[in-house]
Amino acid sequence: MDFKRLFAATLLGLAALPAQAAIKVFACEPEWADLTRALVPDADIHTATSARQDPHYIEARPSLISAMRRAHIAVCTGASLEAGWLPALISRASNREIQPGKPGLFFAAEQVSLHQPHNHVDRSMGDVHPEGDPHIHLDPDRLPSIVNALADRLAALAPDDEHAIRLRQRQWQVRWKLETAKWREAATSLEGLSVAVQHSNFGYLLRWLGVEPSIDLEPKPGLPPSASHLSEALADPALDRVRLILIASYQGERPAQWLASKTELPVEILPGTVTDQPETDTLAKLISHIIDRLEHHHRTAEHG
Amino acid sequence: MYNLYTRTGFAVLTLLPLSMAQANEMNPDVSVVLDGFYKQNHTALSHREKGIGLGHSELSLSAPIDDLFEGRLTAALESHEGETEVGLEEAFLQTTGMPYNLSVRGGRFFSQVGYLNGRHLHEDDFVERPAAYRALLGSHYFDDGLRLNLLLPTPVYWQIGAEAFNGNGLSEGDEDIGVYTINTRIGSDISTSQSWQAGLSYLRNRQLHDGEHEEEHGGEHEEHEEHGHGGHGAEYLGENLYMADLVWKWAPDGNNRSQQLTLSGEYLYADELGEHASSDDRHEGWYASAVYQFAPQWSVGVRHGQVELKEAHGDHFDDQNLEETDVMLGWSRSHFSTVRLQYTHQEADGFEKADNTVMLQYVMSFGAHGAHGF
Repeated sequence: MDFKRLFAATLLGLAALPAQAAIKVFACEPEWADLTRALVPDADIHTATSARQDPHYIEARPSLISAMRRAHIAVCTGASLEAGWLPALISRASNREIQPGKPGLFFAAEQVSLHQPHNHVDRSMGDVHPEGDPHIHLDPDRLPSIVNALADRLAALAPDDEHAIRLRQRQWQVRWKLETAKWREAATSLEGLSVAVQHSNFGYLLRWLGVEPSIDLEPKPGLPPSASHLSEALADPALDRVRLILIASYQGERPAQWLASKTELPVEILPGTVTDQPETDTLAKLISHIIDRLEHHHRTAEHG
Repeated sequence: MYNLYTRTGFAVLTLLPLSMAQANEMNPDVSVVLDGFYKQNHTALSHREKGIGLGHSELSLSAPIDDLFEGRLTAALESHEGETEVGLEEAFLQTTGMPYNLSVRGGRFFSQVGYLNGRHLHEDDFVERPAAYRALLGSHYFDDGLRLNLLLPTPVYWQIGAEAFNGNGLSEGDEDIGVYTINTRIGSDISTSQSWQAGLSYLRNRQLHDGEHEEEHGGEHEEHEEHGHGGHGAEYLGENLYMADLVWKWAPDGNNRSQQLTLSGEYLYADELGEHASSDDRHEGWYASAVYQFAPQWSVGVRHGQVELKEAHGDHFDDQNLEETDVMLGWSRSHFSTVRLQYTHQEADGFEKADNTVMLQYVMSFGAHGAHGF
């Protein structure tokens, strides 16, 4: 029984963890700070963005340059999510460890296959990334590979801590497997639920759950909802199946509230990534929280 | 001074997009900026003519060269009286593998003096640079030279830098190192919503010793204004140019996508104006600007500034003064397209063409996603 062996290793490992030397990490988004912390709890982590911010539009401001100057490794999403600011930061920080192609620059999106890669993109399609949809951080099946790759990278940077990092990695994988089993159970009840979204932030998780994002408030990826597009959405027959309008906490509420006022659909505003609130302060808790909220609305819609 | 308008140059530029068509990992990032405008009246010290015209069209290529260097080439196309001029604005390499957060840039590039000078014109919030920049730096000073930058190992961001240029981008001369600059920049966050940056710069023009400069100045000045070359040689010079800049930005929760207020201001001071100048003669200018992006696609801005200049006439100087206020409304459909309506009010002493004007401008870019700084 693999599970039992892993569990034993996990429990034994907890007692035997050596002290970690503080490795300095620049995390582009809070989800990667969370994974890094799970592997190296003592890491000195600077998180560049928060759940209240749109990660596509950040400025290469002085405090970020300074944080990147100090860091040993930058852990980012990649797939052009940070194309508007990360290259400027890398160039200005002149940190020779954190450069394209160096081990000090880790891109999560390079560790997994992405949804919807495009052979041809142009900007009339909106802000579409040729590499594919970069919002991978809520995908229960893709995160384990990212954690494994991140553990490899961190262990190579801090060889003295390799033993501890490997133990934490196994612990994380065990916990994740247990969580995933719970989520899969929830998914059976959510399957077929239809929601309206704004951008593809929750796309990977919704797909995994079998929840259909049948309406997008954005006219094109990356463009803010316009009045004309919202009226089109209102007339869309797919709206009849929608039970919930789901937006991320960094997005303006007004378009969602407008659609809600016309349709009496509930609006759910959820953090798009890990926050410092206790109910969503790790990726696992965040995914559980999102699923809870979806289940809540699903039940209400069925019984109401 | 750097305009070599050639048909071959143009041919090269038109051929490039063809070779890009076959997408290939080895190809450099290519980006194009289109800039066009309508301007109701002539204005003083302007680089844009009255009427319908093209501004600063840019074609830029950049890529890592190997694991230690990256490079960029930017050609700017400008059209004047039916002739197309191709100017090479940037052609530089930069190191990426130096220790101690050092970086070296060599070739042709924008000097990093002041807040605006190191930025591309298409990143600006107003149609033209402030009057002080147009007079003292030719809107944007770029030149051939070498830069050394160092980030100090302090908890707050603190950069110091030095540049050495041949100086021909500002004025003619025989010095090998015609211009050098030193500059420093610090900045940090005040809270999640607020951040700031301050800078000090000094630019030394060593070519003003020789008398020939003033002749060129006095004689060609009017013509310069008519042609209005975008940023090729400043019209008012001093051996010493001092600049101070301050920028403060506010965005609720740091989410600058939905809202952002930017306050910025700069002060410029130039002295030692040349052979015939007295020790009291100087050029002096400043501007302060407030830009409020109140929705993801909309921004409004106001800018006020003044520049007091000494215009060289043979062996004496005449006083000139220009006060300018701009009001701007901008709409950006996406991150890559901006349409801007601006009203400019000028009050001047010693300028013939000062006037008020309405301007309508578009700035659009396609190709690689440019990463913008603070």
